[in-house]
Amino acid sequence: MYYKFSGFTQKLTGSAPMAAYCPQGLRPGVPAESPTMIFGTPTKVVSEASPTVEYMGANRVQEFQRIFQASDSVPVHLKRGVPDRLLYRTTMALTVGGALYCMVALYMAAQPRNK
Amino acid sequence: MAHQAHPYHMVDPSPWPLTGAVAALLMTSGLAIWFHFHSTILMLLGTVLLVLTICQWWRDVVREGTFQGHHTPPAQKGLRYGMILFITSEVLFFAGFFWAFYHSSLAPTPELGGFWPPAGITPLDPFEVPLLNTAVLLASGVTVTWAHHSIMEGDRKQAIHSLTLTILLGGYFTFLQALEYYEAPFTIADGVYGATFFVATGFHGLHVIIGSTFLAVCLHRQIRHHFTSTHHFGFEAAAWYWHFVDVVWLFLYISIYWWGS
Repeated sequence: MYYKFSGFTQKLTGSAPMAAYCPQGLRPGVPAESPTMIFGTPTKVVSEASPTVEYMGANRVQEFQRIFQASDSVPVHLKRGVPDRLLYRTTMALTVGGALYCMVALYMAAQPRNK
Repeated sequence: MAHQAHPYHMVDPSPWPLTGAVAALLMTSGLAIWFHFHSTILMLLGTVLLVLTICQWWRDVVREGTFQGHHTPPAQKGLRYGMILFITSEVLFFAGFFWAFYHSSLAPTPELGGFWPPAGITPLDPFEVPLLNTAVLLASGVTVTWAHHSIMEGDRKQAIHSLTLTILLGGYFTFLQALEYYEAPFTIADGVYGATFFVATGFHGLHVIIGSTFLAVCLHRQIRHHFTSTHHFGFEAAAWYWHFVDVVWLFLYISIYWWGS
């Protein structure tokens, strides 16, 4: 079952697969007809083998969609695993340490100067 | 993902508002400590924390929109209103500087000599580098539109090329402005002329740098296939912002550089 957002009722309603909302667009499913067989195709050299090589890197969005849509109740800022945790902990350590240091610095700045 | 029967984005709990607020505390306290005790440690700490926060916060927004599909059409509508309100507030921010400029220049006080530009000020020639800057920014407005149409038509190669060209033009503008600042025969301390000139054009330059960064993030995302021909609001927001910066420059050029000289 596919859903789409109806602008008329402002609710989700059922829809055909092609009209359903998908941020990366939908790939058509399995083709209904099997492709016609081609016999005796000459062997291709490697450079010709994949004409669909993408300019400046392949599309890995679907791979990331699988990673970030995994149902593991991990919040989005930690979903990627170790690199995310490292960055998060560094930021949090700076936040706590910085706040404490700031309090000390402001307390010292508030003391009268010794002449 | 859990099934939801509405199109709105329920965000995950996030640490970034907290780290961003502490970064603001560290930067403001750091400035005070810097001014009073000549120590930049707290200021630098606050800046590092702010940069870490904004990088991770916007990284999460990209994950939510492109990888998790939370930016449904109604959610995108909210993003659009948000960006429109943000740019409106920026327009009012610049309106304040134009007000200061016209307040000072339309009825110059006797202290200024009763005329504008004030006595002793040699303004920059508007038909030299500033005119080139105008052409550069107008050209970047063309290339950003070229990039938008390329994205809408799914022309990946042209989108990357035109976006790169836009960022290069932004960089060229910033370079020329830096050169003008270096060669200017007056400073920010030269009375109300220097103050209004450098505050208005300086904040504009800051916005050009922010806009170029925004476009560079879009180029990075375009290279990584994040934008489709129907869903690319991140790019559109950057293009709106770029056009806003462009229009502010036109007003600056006509008012301060041309009429004001």
